[in-house]
Amino acid sequence: MIEKYRIRHCLCSLLGGFLLMVILTSPCFAGAPTDGIKKTTDRILVIVSDPALKGPENREKRAQLIRQAVDEQFNWEAMTKRSLARHWRGRTEAEKKEFIDLFGKLLERTYLDKVGSYSGEKVIYVGETIDGKYGTVTAKILTHSRTEVLVRYRLKETNGDWRVYDISIEGVSLVNNYRKQFNSIILRSSYDDLVAKLREKVAEKD
Amino acid sequence: MKRFDLELCVGLFMILGILCMGYLSIKLGNLEVLGSQGYEVEAVFSNGGGIKSGSSVVIAGVEIGRVKQVGLNDYQARVLMDLPFDVKIQEDAIASIKTRGLIGDKFIEITPGGSEELIGPGGRIRDTQSAVDLEELISNYVFGKL
Repeated sequence: MIEKYRIRHCLCSLLGGFLLMVILTSPCFAGAPTDGIKKTTDRILVIVSDPALKGPENREKRAQLIRQAVDEQFNWEAMTKRSLARHWRGRTEAEKKEFIDLFGKLLERTYLDKVGSYSGEKVIYVGETIDGKYGTVTAKILTHSRTEVLVRYRLKETNGDWRVYDISIEGVSLVNNYRKQFNSIILRSSYDDLVAKLREKVAEKD
Repeated sequence: MKRFDLELCVGLFMILGILCMGYLSIKLGNLEVLGSQGYEVEAVFSNGGGIKSGSSVVIAGVEIGRVKQVGLNDYQARVLMDLPFDVKIQEDAIASIKTRGLIGDKFIEITPGGSEELIGPGGRIRDTQSAVDLEELISNYVFGKL
């Protein structure tokens, strides 16, 4: 029960990140990482504000389109690898594949629905740093109540392609959050138990 | 002869006492006399939250090293940590600044990663999580709704 609460709690904090993806609308300066994120965000924004895709009957289709856009910007394997951390190495190829899929679905399930609650929040790109193959993009979301939410994307370049491997919201990292939870679940019970928990969570009805 | 023995004893006792004092002040003051016994790793935080040299560096709640130096780098906090050679830090490890209790001491927690690449001496932990500013959180909550 506590586990459930904790997972739900952290998933809620994740929502902000995906919401941000949807919200980034302000003009940005040059830089491949920022451009990539802006492009994806704009694409999601178009999907979310498309009246033809609104309503519960179109949920499936909308979710699929958003997932497609996110897939192009996120490096799911790197994200999962970082979240599983030292437990990643002992896994077989099949287990890795399965876990990447489950983790992606978990995030999708948790945040996709929330994306619909977008109501014109503004996003400002604050800065970008590039250090070799690694980069960060910092953005601020301005809500209607004039609260600022600071979001930082961490990206890695592979073959000229910048992909997100971590998101920090108000300084709290998504990967670190899951890394600690996964680690404590695996140490307390087992990897199989963690997979079972994730499966259950993904299959859960709203 | 007897008098000489007594003086020698007192002298030796004094020297022993001074040595003890020296040892104690080095130990209690966390000073390093013979140089460090490990390697240095740096990390840059957007908010140091009052971390200072001598603060602990912790993995899984176990103190493994100490902060050697804190400085400013492009208006960000650059923290130099001293870690023992037998503790390997992976390239994707995350360093976060934490507080003991609600208003206690600040320390750095490293959550180990899963990468095969290790951070060598003089390397940098790229992924960092800054101190959570409680005051800012409260003010966001209190004054947020304009």
